[in-house]
Amino acid sequence: MWRLNVVRHKAGRQGISLEELKFKKRAHEKELRQARRDSQLVSKRLLVNEDEDEEGGTMDTMASDQVLEYLQMITIDRDVVNKEAHLRALRKALRSPSAHLTFIKQQGSISVLVTNLSGPHPQCRLEAARCFHELSHSPHREVDPWRLRQATPYLITYLSGQSPKFTELCLYTLANMCPDSENVRELLLVQGVVPALTSCIQIHRYNLAVVEAVAFTFSQLVSANSASGEMIPAVLASGLIPHLLSALTPDPQFGLGPAIECAWCLHYLCCSNVDNGTLVAQGALLQCTSLLVTLGGAVAKGSVMEGLELLIWPLLRCVGNLLLSGPLGALQPHLKDSRLLAALIAFAQVFLRTHPALARESIWVLNNLTADSSVFSSAMLYLNLVPGLIQLLPFSEGINTMVLRVLGNIAHHGREYCVHLAQAGLLSALCATLKMADSEVVTFSLEVLGQLVASDTQLADEFIKQSGLPLLEAIQFNSQETIRIRATHLLEHHLTPLCLVDTSESP
Amino acid sequence: MLQPELIQLLTVNDLVDTSIDTIPKLPVGFSPKGSLFCSFTSHNTEEGEKIPFTFTPHQILLHKDHEFFEDGDIQRHLYLQNLSTYSADDLPNARPCEFRCHISGCSQVFNCVEGYEHHYNTLHRHVCSSCQKSLPSTRLLDIHIQEWHDSLFSILAERQDMYQCLLEGCGLKFRTREQRKDHMINIHKYPSDFRFDKAMRTKKNKTARKNLLQKGTGMEESISKPEGSSYRPEEEESMELQPALDPAAYPADAVEMSTEIPSAPPLSVPIPLTTNQPRSQHNRGMQSHRVPRTVCFGQGSVQGFRGRGRRI
Repeated sequence: MWRLNVVRHKAGRQGISLEELKFKKRAHEKELRQARRDSQLVSKRLLVNEDEDEEGGTMDTMASDQVLEYLQMITIDRDVVNKEAHLRALRKALRSPSAHLTFIKQQGSISVLVTNLSGPHPQCRLEAARCFHELSHSPHREVDPWRLRQATPYLITYLSGQSPKFTELCLYTLANMCPDSENVRELLLVQGVVPALTSCIQIHRYNLAVVEAVAFTFSQLVSANSASGEMIPAVLASGLIPHLLSALTPDPQFGLGPAIECAWCLHYLCCSNVDNGTLVAQGALLQCTSLLVTLGGAVAKGSVMEGLELLIWPLLRCVGNLLLSGPLGALQPHLKDSRLLAALIAFAQVFLRTHPALARESIWVLNNLTADSSVFSSAMLYLNLVPGLIQLLPFSEGINTMVLRVLGNIAHHGREYCVHLAQAGLLSALCATLKMADSEVVTFSLEVLGQLVASDTQLADEFIKQSGLPLLEAIQFNSQETIRIRATHLLEHHLTPLCLVDTSESP
Repeated sequence: MLQPELIQLLTVNDLVDTSIDTIPKLPVGFSPKGSLFCSFTSHNTEEGEKIPFTFTPHQILLHKDHEFFEDGDIQRHLYLQNLSTYSADDLPNARPCEFRCHISGCSQVFNCVEGYEHHYNTLHRHVCSSCQKSLPSTRLLDIHIQEWHDSLFSILAERQDMYQCLLEGCGLKFRTREQRKDHMINIHKYPSDFRFDKAMRTKKNKTARKNLLQKGTGMEESISKPEGSSYRPEEEESMELQPALDPAAYPADAVEMSTEIPSAPPLSVPIPLTTNQPRSQHNRGMQSHRVPRTVCFGQGSVQGFRGRGRRI
């Protein structure tokens, strides 16, 4: 199912034990977080050839020496068959990263490869392209993608070809070259990478491996920080969006890969907020929400495919951000299915243990849906989804504050809504959140409670019955003034009458 | 994990109309925020109060680099770099929330709401407003207030039996504290150093701490022990701390004087009240000099919140 068998990182190449991998992964995750903070979070993908797994790796030192030898033979040898063999040998030598340095330092080495890449012999082209692919994935800073730029006109040109394997190779090579260098991205844009990619996805739309590669290349182009200037407008104008949208639905045979890449690509486009109106008009919101509903159904049936979160994540983000592209009333035609609300809550509950951040983002979408929309707020109550939401209140890391926001959104619509919220058990849930350590949670709880008790005196009575008064009295001793003031206000203005009765009743 | 209702909603067949338009819309009332505002604007003009409620619904636009997206981005790049498939068991779990005591200066943190409630009920529920002594029950608090802070009590006590038996439902009264103590030991088989009879005497050793609201509650900690529970010998040691600061050395009247105004707020200690005030103040002052704040009095008071913000 996983394309990872073919497209993978170098770490996957050596046979490492599971323990080692786990350890590596943890260390790696730390590195990635730091890289993200430094806005340098980039990934490259490596296509592995079928013939590679059987052959043992070459020694690094040997490989470095061999590189020069092969390079010379490629230039000297006139025989095509020999030339191809030398190129293949060179490509294998380039699998060891230290050989990259030797290669790149050699005068004219890139030109030799470009000559073969642009030459008339198909096999030599393929092997030359594979060499470039290895170099594009280099861990060395010296192997700058800018130094490989002579290859890009050919790589782009070949995207319009008919050979899927070769196209895929060109795509991943280009994709690996763009994230590191702003110059390379500008060059690619000028050289027409966007229309080339669009025609490529059109030609190969039934070959999901190529679709995945195109979407990955696009995501590399549009995820760059500078992308919103020229790149994203060019992409939006290219006619690519319908292709991305039609590739969003996962193929049961091929797996999630292409859908994941398309969805992330859309996410980068949406959160750039360059022209989200166009995206909505082209059906992005409708397609993303209906896919979320489908996935929600799958999750509800208990069939959570491995890696499903990688698809749900970008879809949630697209929907969340697209909801701000216009007034909710105007977006209504794209949000017809009420099951979206149920799906969002199902995601939050199912992924709460494994991916709490996904649960949080799911509720964030719910916030953007219910803010100022009585239609969705009513639906939350009508479909009885509030209890499911309340279940998420005990969880920290931003989950419960987001839940409280949603509850506040619903309560904001007035008395009817507040009464229904109370019926769903909100008051006793608030009694618990008011005791929580996070002062933001306490503040939000007081805000929601304020809306409830101010809307209806019965709700105030109900809160008192749930022994809420001593709770608020305790909060009056909180160290934060803003919290104390809110609690005092509620006690003085909304919970006073019964408060007196209550104290007189108790001995 | 999912509720059956939710599953049913999501797995209905396509023939069922799931359109949002079929859902009846509840009438939008005048917003509760408005009524909050109303009550405020009316008070606003009178008291110049500020509106403390600020929540308004709003949609949130998140940028690509927003920290909210960090975990998802990391997962994506782990996947792209072929490291995500081994992740099942070392992912972060959603952490349940912690609970914190609201009493500022206490702020102890708990893992469960039960822990919080036990803490609150034990230390902050029945607190004497005059001396911040915490007692385990309403009855004991009432008796404490009568005996220590009611100026009428000592006058009446000279003429009639005023010292109530501490037991809930006993109802007998005695002329002196000693008589009551004998009664409790002989009839009810209470230990001779029953904490909630004795501990009350220690309270005047404490300086009433300042500023309940801002600086700290000053709520005095004392152990909660259900009435009638058996005496635990290991607590004896903490009792041994007492003789050096034996409260019996200070006559009860000193305390009574200092708290003559019944409605005196807890922060009123420095305000001179009576002719005897200097003396009682002197006592308090001396005590507060001699005794470091960190030293707790009373049996079991070591269980109070000396370690602030400490997790239990």
